[in-house]
This record gives sequence, structure tokens and C-alpha cells, in this order.
Amino acid sequence: MRLERLASLNLTLAGLLTLAVSVAVYAASKVPSPALVVAPLALLLVNLLAAVATNRVFRANLPLMLFHCALLAIVALAAAGRLTQFKGQVELAEGEVFEGDVGEVEAGPLHRNALDRVRFVNDGFTIRYAAGLKRAETRNAIRIFDAQGGVTPLVIGDTEPLRAYGYRFYTSPNKGFSLVFRWFPRNGSAVRGTVNLPAYPANEHRQALEWGLPAGGPRIWTQLQFDKPPLDADADTSFRKPGQHRVVLRVGERRWELAPGEQVTLDGGVLAYEGLSTWMGYTVFSDWTMPWLIAACILAVASLGWHFGRRFAATPWDAA
Amino acid sequence: MSADFAFLYAALATYVAAGAIALAGLARERPRERAMLGLLAAALVLHGLALALRWQRTGHGPFITMHEILSSNIWSLALVFTLAAWRYRPVRAAAAVVMPILFVMMAWMVSTDPAAGHLPATYRTLWLYVHVSLGKVFLGSVVVAVGLAGVILLRRFTTGLPWLAALPADARLENLAFRFMVVGFLFESLMLVAGAVWAQDAWGRYWAWDPLETWAFVTWLTLAGFLHARASLKLAPAAGAAMIMAVFVVAFLTFFGVPFVSMAPHKGAI
Repeated sequence: MRLERLASLNLTLAGLLTLAVSVAVYAASKVPSPALVVAPLALLLVNLLAAVATNRVFRANLPLMLFHCALLAIVALAAAGRLTQFKGQVELAEGEVFEGDVGEVEAGPLHRNALDRVRFVNDGFTIRYAAGLKRAETRNAIRIFDAQGGVTPLVIGDTEPLRAYGYRFYTSPNKGFSLVFRWFPRNGSAVRGTVNLPAYPANEHRQALEWGLPAGGPRIWTQLQFDKPPLDADADTSFRKPGQHRVVLRVGERRWELAPGEQVTLDGGVLAYEGLSTWMGYTVFSDWTMPWLIAACILAVASLGWHFGRRFAATPWDAA
Repeated sequence: MSADFAFLYAALATYVAAGAIALAGLARERPRERAMLGLLAAALVLHGLALALRWQRTGHGPFITMHEILSSNIWSLALVFTLAAWRYRPVRAAAAVVMPILFVMMAWMVSTDPAAGHLPATYRTLWLYVHVSLGKVFLGSVVVAVGLAGVILLRRFTTGLPWLAALPADARLENLAFRFMVVGFLFESLMLVAGAVWAQDAWGRYWAWDPLETWAFVTWLTLAGFLHARASLKLAPAAGAAMIMAVFVVAFLTFFGVPFVSMAPHKGAI
């Protein structure tokens, strides 16, 4: 008797309306609590399982059963996805190889990291802009290296990600200029490094960054300066590096301006500015449940269509 | 003035004429149903030409600005309604409810900036057309149901409207409205799935609780709630009609209200 009360259609209705309100509150909250969505979902789950256990008519209705099983599968897959999915961000300068390091990671506790198997190099990008600096197509040339030593060139961008080992790498709106330096420490061998400046053109007037030289070298404030912005905001254009530019370096009170090919002597070594390059930001995503989720959604819609189609076929619509 | 605007305003005038016949028909023993349907068909052809010419001029479909979004939705809602009214006679009287809704959208549209917008790179995908088409069938089906629900409520609260009085009983009208709501529910479900596939490609995530996703899901839950309520509560036709109106309000605000308050990249409303 208690199970039959749990299977009540009125409880289903209450659960649906509670879930609708909870979802709206969840999305509007600054610090949303997952319990807001999970609690009414759990209520609906119990309600559905009780209905399956107690309602013979429900059990005998195959399309309706299929629909509700598909809904169960969607909820279960979404939960599994939360436990195993991976999200992150990575920036690669032109010519830089991805070797598994990703920042801003949000990974489920059961995610098995296989990013160290993914190796590709960013070979540079083109981005077209319409007048007003409205971004159009992004085309990013990459080469991906497989485990057998093979190399495959690819062009990704916008809705076409790189797919490798269950991960997807999407080009992001974050991209900009890189300052390429070579550091010659007084004791040790030379190291080449890049400083990825804040995204351009979003941060057109903040092209500066502080960074620490490798091997315990000093911290340096760097700034890219150019006389003419490389992108013409009033016409169709494409992403390009500024022609004439210089780099401002500051260490404490000391200040230098360097053109490509120039160098400066610092405490601990010599820093040479080799020139300007670009970097691309990638959004990394992995969720094995996606194809199964789509399949479950299509099964849900198809079975519901079957259920109602069968029901409506009994009476013409004109005579409904 | 571009040719597409000439066709657009001709279409609007024709819609208004069709709506006027529908509203005047409420008081007539023999409403001019054929004239109304003929004018609606003519308006759809003119409006279709306007959209096609604008598409050719701007290089992209009517997916970007609020002007384009309202224009394409007026066309799709009118198309679904006209097809339903042509096929099912009781639906024709619902024009007296549906056309004023379209009039509001038309007034809103002419008050918006008609300048062309910029098509983002993420819109250059087949999923745009799939997602938008499914959404338009969803909202069109709901609007037909709203028209029928409006007729039920009008009959309850007014007298002396012969066209409405001659229609089948409330229970039959509500049953027909329910069927259109079911069609709407199926298409909204597919729209959400297609939107998730597109969002995965466009932004690297299939669901992120952005305002439009959230409210589309709330609409889905509200519609599911209506279908369940009808099965479990054995609603009277007027109560069912009132619920259909409530679902429509949520759906309409989701389609046309959320993009105004949301600063998320997923502006939607397409």
C-alpha cells in the first residue's frame, strides 16, 4: 500500500513542478547547490520505480515503459558523466607541442586521465573578422602524433575539434600574441620560452604580463608596444601580428625596450628577445557518455511518439 | 527600401486582413473561413519571399537579430497554424486567438532595428537548421493548442459569438489541443537534443545551465507536467485550457524574453 502511494501520478506531478522550480532557482543561484536538482530528481526516480513495481497497466504498455526507462537511462548517464568527465583549458604557442598539461581542470572523481597519450603541435591559426572586429571563421593548423610515430596534419576550429583518445580539443575565443625569449643563464644551458600575453583583441590595451625566468632567474614585467593596431576595426580583416613593435622589460626600477633580435644583461644571465609569435587557447573536454545520452534521448522521444501515435490512431483527429 | 521590406510590409498587411476577417467572423453566423485561409496563404507566400530576399541580401538566414527572429517566427507560427486550420476545421476559429498573438509579435518586430547582424562562425553548421526547425514546429504546435484553448475560455466567459458556439464541444476541442501539445512536446524534446549536440560543437559542452538552456528545460518540464496533470487529474476542459495558456507563457518567455536578459554567449531565440 505504501509502495502504491509512492507510485502516485499526483506525486509525479508534484515532482515535475518542484523540479521545474528547483532548476530555475539552481540556475539563478550564485553558488548553486546540486541538491536543488538532485532531490526532486530522486523523488521522481523513487516514484517511477514504485510505478514500475506496482502498476500492471504501466508495465504492459511497452512504449510508455521504454520512454520511462530511457528517462532513467538519461539521468543515470548524466550522473555517470558528472563522475567521469573532464574539462580544462590549455594555451599553446605557435610551434609548441601539447604534452598533457592542462589548467583550470574540472574533472570527475572517477576520470582516468589519458591526456599524456595526446601529442599535437599548434602550427598557427587564421581568424577572419567582419567589420567591427566580429569574429568569423577560426582555422587552426595542427599536427597530431600517434603512438606509432605517425604524423597527421589537421585543420580544426569553431565547431570542428581535434578528437584524440576520448578527448576533444576545441579552439577557444582566447588567443593572442606570444613573446619569444631565449634565456642564457650564467651557469647552465640556454632555454627558449614564450610569454603568452593576455588574449587579443579582447585585451588590446593590456598587453603586459609578469613572469619568472627559469632556473631561479628574476621576475620580469613585459609589455608589447606597437604604434598601429594590427587589426582594423572598421573593415573586414584577419588576425595578424603587428609589423613594427618593441617589448618593454622591467625588473624593479630598471627598464629596457627591445626590438626582435636584441638582448639585455640581467642578474644571472642574458635575455634575448627573438620575436613575436601567437598562441591559441583550447578547451579540452571528455565525456564518454555523450553518444549513449543521444541514443537514450532518441529512444525516449521515439517511444513516446509510438505511445501517443498508437493512442491517437484509435480516433481521427477531426473526431478527437 | 530593399525589395525584401516591400514584401514584408505587404505580408504584414495581408496578415492583418486575415486577422480582421477572423475577429469579425466571431460575430457572424457564417464566418469567411475560406477568405481567411486564402489571405493567410497569400501572406505566407509574400512573407516567405521577404525572408528569402533578405537571406540572399545578408548572406545568412533569419537567425541573428531580434527583427529576423521575430519575422521568421511569425512566418513559421502562421505556417503551422494555417496548415492545421486547413486540415482540421475546428482549428479555424482559433484564428481569433492566434492572430492577435501574431499582431503583438508584428508590432514588436516593426519596432526593432532591421539592420543585418553578423553570423557567428559557430552558426555555420547543419545543426543550426535542425535545432531551429524543430523549435519552430514545437512553438507552432503549441500556438495551435493555445488558439483552441483560447476558444474554450472565450466560450466560457463570453456569449453571442456564433462562430464559437457552432464549434464542437469543449471536451473535443481540448482533446484536439492536447494532441497538438503532445506534438509540441515531442518536437521540443528533439529541439533540446539537437541544441545539446550543437552546443557541444560550438562551445565544447552540451549543457551548461545557461539561461536559455535552463528555461528551455523548465518549459519542457512544464509541458511534461501538463501531460501528466491531464492524465492524473482528469482536468475539466477549461482547466486544461488554462494550463495550456500557462505552458505557452513559459515557452514564449523562453523564446523571446530570455535573450533580452541573458548576457551568456548562448543568446538563442532562433
